[in-house]
Amino acid sequence: MSVAVVEAWIEVPLRRFVDDARVMLALLLHPSGQVVAQHGFTRAVDVMSACALAAAIHASSGELGRQLEGKPFAGLHHAGQERQLFLAQVGTARGSYIFLTVFDRGSSLGLVQLYFDELRDGLARAAPPADEKGPTLAENFEGELNRNLAVLFGRA
Amino acid sequence: MSSPFADLLGTLVRQRGVMGGLVVSESDGIIVDATLQVGIKGNVVAALAASLFRKARLSSAAAGLGEAMFLTLEAEHGRVCAAGRSDLILVTIADPRTNLGLLRVEMLKGLEGGTLS
Repeated sequence: MSVAVVEAWIEVPLRRFVDDARVMLALLLHPSGQVVAQHGFTRAVDVMSACALAAAIHASSGELGRQLEGKPFAGLHHAGQERQLFLAQVGTARGSYIFLTVFDRGSSLGLVQLYFDELRDGLARAAPPADEKGPTLAENFEGELNRNLAVLFGRA
Repeated sequence: MSSPFADLLGTLVRQRGVMGGLVVSESDGIIVDATLQVGIKGNVVAALAASLFRKARLSSAAAGLGEAMFLTLEAEHGRVCAAGRSDLILVTIADPRTNLGLLRVEMLKGLEGGTLS
């Protein structure tokens, strides 16, 4: 199963998750909406849209959790007729990431949650320390996004 | 407040050697109700047993054998049994001392009783 990553340390844990959980789509991104890894997407524009929506959902559900429980929700699950979506946060030494995955009847929420726990641990173990660059700033956000998309879709 | 499955699970875990009983949603692999010994990873068992039972059911249907109703996984230190008919499946974790025949009867009785349908 093809997994494309911007940073090499993500590849092994993400590939294992995709193989084990049998998901259709997987996306790892910064909370800013900057993509760092993907599986299952064929068009850069779809990745861009999914990242923007995932970042927005994460921000709003996180705030909703803070309002209700004083802390962000641990994960979000949405069940559609045919496909389901699972979105959760991953903490690493390089900072927090958002993980989004879409699956159908070939998998299940229980399996996705089970293997997501392994993915989260795997990423936390594999992540190198944070670099000096810091978070992507608004003025170079688009340039960074385009560079990452080019890497993921083999145009770099 | 006890769930509608509490009596059924109570009957199953009172059998000798049974370490846990779970009612699991087959499509989601999520626990609906469970009675487990300390140390058993219920969420993990539920997710994997539901996936196994779903695949067994699909295999049985593909082979023209109709609905799969009961599945036993024999392992080195015990057994995982699963029985189901609708989206809910009944899963038990048992050590080798368990009387499998009796456990099977009780699990199928649970299905027949309509608690899971």
